[in-house]
Amino acid sequence: MSDVYIVGADMIAFGRYPDRTYYQLGAEASLKALDDSGLSIKDIGAVYASSCFNAQSMLGQKVLKEIGQTGVPCINVSNACASGATAVREAFIGIKSGIYDAVLVVGSEKNPRGMLGGAPHDGPPPEGLFGSESMPAVFAEAGMVHTAAYGTTIEQFAQVAVKNHHHATMNPKAAYRKETPLDEVLASEMIAWPLTKLMCSANVDGAAALVLVSEKKARELGMSRAVRIRASMLTSDPYEPRNPVMFDCNSVTRLAAAKAYEMAGLGPKDLDIVELHDCFATAEILHYENLGLCGEGEAGRLIDSGDTALGGRIPVNVSGGLLSKGHPIGATGVANMVEIVEHLRGEAGARQVTGARIGLSHVLGFGAAAGVHILEKA
Amino acid sequence: MATDSLTLPKPATGVIRIGTDGRASIEGFRCRDCGGVFAEQTMSCRRCASRNAPEAFRAAESGKLYSWSVVHRSYPGIAVPFVSAIVDLDDGLTLKGTLRGVDAAAVRQGMPVSLVFDDAGGARDKEGAPYVGFHFTPKGDA
Repeated sequence: MSDVYIVGADMIAFGRYPDRTYYQLGAEASLKALDDSGLSIKDIGAVYASSCFNAQSMLGQKVLKEIGQTGVPCINVSNACASGATAVREAFIGIKSGIYDAVLVVGSEKNPRGMLGGAPHDGPPPEGLFGSESMPAVFAEAGMVHTAAYGTTIEQFAQVAVKNHHHATMNPKAAYRKETPLDEVLASEMIAWPLTKLMCSANVDGAAALVLVSEKKARELGMSRAVRIRASMLTSDPYEPRNPVMFDCNSVTRLAAAKAYEMAGLGPKDLDIVELHDCFATAEILHYENLGLCGEGEAGRLIDSGDTALGGRIPVNVSGGLLSKGHPIGATGVANMVEIVEHLRGEAGARQVTGARIGLSHVLGFGAAAGVHILEKA
Repeated sequence: MATDSLTLPKPATGVIRIGTDGRASIEGFRCRDCGGVFAEQTMSCRRCASRNAPEAFRAAESGKLYSWSVVHRSYPGIAVPFVSAIVDLDDGLTLKGTLRGVDAAAVRQGMPVSLVFDDAGGARDKEGAPYVGFHFTPKGDA
């Protein structure tokens, strides 16, 4: 089976686009990724389109109506915050199987405004009556388990936001590019203890796209900027006794990471850069351990050490992460990979991780799904 | 009276059962093969995939706090702050609820709590029937 290469990667600046549709955003990102690859939409054999809130509206077809209706298959996927990674994995399988030589992956989202979530229920509204189902509360509770087990402090959680906001100042496509020192993070509005507003991901619009090709096609195009997909893994949540009462963001990620490392024949020590799902500051701490970046219970010390900041041993969320780059749900997983690709090509500008050769991207979908991809400079 | 059946209390959430005596309880389900415990009835066992359907049991009314958050901002119209709590009941079932009657700064993992049935904030359905809900209190407090 052919290896799969990324030869085009780009995204629009994340932010608010009140006057544009989600498919216009997706079309713009698609054209940028195609231009980056040197291919035309006429070279593309299939489109994999991801969105959490608009996949059912035939997103892929709507993008093609903007950029060229070539009649190719469009696969529209929705898998919560793992939608983008799901689309990439399906595209990977399409190339790997030998059916396609070149495919387009596009993730696009215009998020609803306000706090996301809140499933419909029979009976009186459950929020506040039976605890909270809000995402900040859910991830606060996940973080407090770490606090109870290892003494992780609110300052350690807050340092994740300080770091990622600092990284975002170097990313022209991040939605929020302002330094936010620790006292500012801690003093911002308390949403769900221990999470303040600046420790919650930025609810924005956005789109990102990738062009994936077979090895044969990559050689035709020239390998100098190609990135190889060493592992593409997707998992659903395995049985955990407290789930679904307590959303389990750990086991689903650990399972995906273990399978991805196995597929790549690599381990956490081989990574030069990581983009992980910092939907909340607590989540980044948990995922340090879930992805094997440190030992059990060491995540608080890992953030304190500076090892996960740009210039450290294993920089995490150099893009600014979901906390400050922004989290347009269905575009997030694709954008994470765009960031890794830029670093592996040495094209990340001021935030470049020097000499990066291998990177990991991770997303977590509520419900649950986890996607882990390991990319390598070709 | 013909309207009596319309005013019987209703469970405010899926895990509550109301007996013929009008008393509320929590119903859990336990796999007959692997012992896995669930808050919902499923077709097969979530844990071991046994086709032997899990059997219902009446859950314990005391447990220990596993995790929590003090919620200061929620959806529009929701009164804050409140403590959102995840409680492991003594028989292995886990529930999410609101922990009341506690100083938020004193909440700790492992603190013993009691399950208390209540009127679900006084909610009524459109026919006027009351709802039965639950919350947690620190053990020993009513």
